[in-house]
Amino acid sequence: MIGYTYQKPGSVAEAFRLKEDTPEALFVAGGTDLMVKIKNREVSPKALISLRSVAELQGIAVRGAVHIGAMTSISELIRNEVMREKYPVLVKAARRLGSRQIRNVATLGGNLCNCSPCADTATPLLVLEARALLQNHLGTREIPLVKLFKQPGETCLATDEILTQVLIPAFNATRKGSGVRTIFFKQGRVKMDLAVASLSVLLQTKGNRVKKARLAAGSVAPVPLRLTRVEDLLEGDNLSSSLIAEARRLAEESVKPITDIRSSGEYRRHIVGVFVKRALETLWARSET
Amino acid sequence: MGPERNMKTEIAFTLNGFPVSLSVSAHKRLLDVLRYDLGLTGTKEGCGEGECGACTVIVDGRAVNACLYPAPEVDGRRVVTIEGLMDPENELSVIQKTFVQSGAIQCGFCSPGMIMATKALLDENPDPTDEEIRAALLGNLCRCTGYVQIVEAVRLAAEKLEKRR
Repeated sequence: MIGYTYQKPGSVAEAFRLKEDTPEALFVAGGTDLMVKIKNREVSPKALISLRSVAELQGIAVRGAVHIGAMTSISELIRNEVMREKYPVLVKAARRLGSRQIRNVATLGGNLCNCSPCADTATPLLVLEARALLQNHLGTREIPLVKLFKQPGETCLATDEILTQVLIPAFNATRKGSGVRTIFFKQGRVKMDLAVASLSVLLQTKGNRVKKARLAAGSVAPVPLRLTRVEDLLEGDNLSSSLIAEARRLAEESVKPITDIRSSGEYRRHIVGVFVKRALETLWARSET
Repeated sequence: MGPERNMKTEIAFTLNGFPVSLSVSAHKRLLDVLRYDLGLTGTKEGCGEGECGACTVIVDGRAVNACLYPAPEVDGRRVVTIEGLMDPENELSVIQKTFVQSGAIQCGFCSPGMIMATKALLDENPDPTDEEIRAALLGNLCRCTGYVQIVEAVRLAAEKLEKRR
């Protein structure tokens, strides 16, 4: 028989107590992925602990770094003025996540903890060098977000642990005079679709010289992938057509895409190369104005 | 037999302006509660996976997929369904009438979801561009592919609502 208990703790402490009482319970955020998996019998939970009503996991606060509560909905993220002004790459990616109905319910924490290689919010957060705050009943630990992703559907979270906050450092904000610019690309079959491939890039330049390069690609490896070899190639060098061509080649070499129902691996590799070229050319042109 | 579990949960919420309270199985979706417990069958189930938008309802002012919304989460919230759009004289709302007049309804299965998504859009943004209309309805599929008439109906409904203000 299908059926599970559904609990709605009002605080993180209460959530941990419930988890201790019912160790087999799963934590659930907006549920837009989990509800589908339950319907298709991919998951048959005996108990769910919903984190949606936990007030301390909601909202966006600027305290040096931007702190985003894990239960902040994708729509709320898009509407937030600070995010729109300082971290447009995340807002752009968030706008491409599902439909409006999904974004009104889906949360940032859920998108990340679902640990899909195509998670739309993952690659912008990777180039922004985001950190993740994880908590269990014993305490809190902070990790670079990139460490959260272990393999498809599997995070580094212990079973009694939850993601509480995502932190974005202030130094990667888009500000006048900082030379920081960002861009996001996503390719799907139709506009509302899981990504065949996606790419986020953050570039900081002084004149033509690349001070900092951060690139992350989605749907082209078991987890959202930082393209560190491309970053190393670009940093310290002057932007040029030949450098961009080399960056493209290295990006195509760095990814490990699979062939599935949505795309062939070969096509995914090609798209990432095109995205890297297009992103760097666009950001280069923007620096000259 | 495992330990006795309480699979039932009490929920109380506002539905189309009226308070309702009932006891439901915790694994029920808002869609099941609306259609089967409360008999409001205007909200449709298409894909049941959040792709088609036929089950769109408005919860606390925002469009959501009722097929992905756990019933226990609706406790304490305000829900509006297609049945809640008629005015007190039992007249169809401006959006509904405009959909009919514009030929934006063919088989009609997607219409309740399209109309609820439209309502959520126009409540938030009374004068949307065509691009904004298409973006807001991206999560609503029309199997008859009558999208052009639907976008026109939304634009026309926005104009009519604007004149009323």
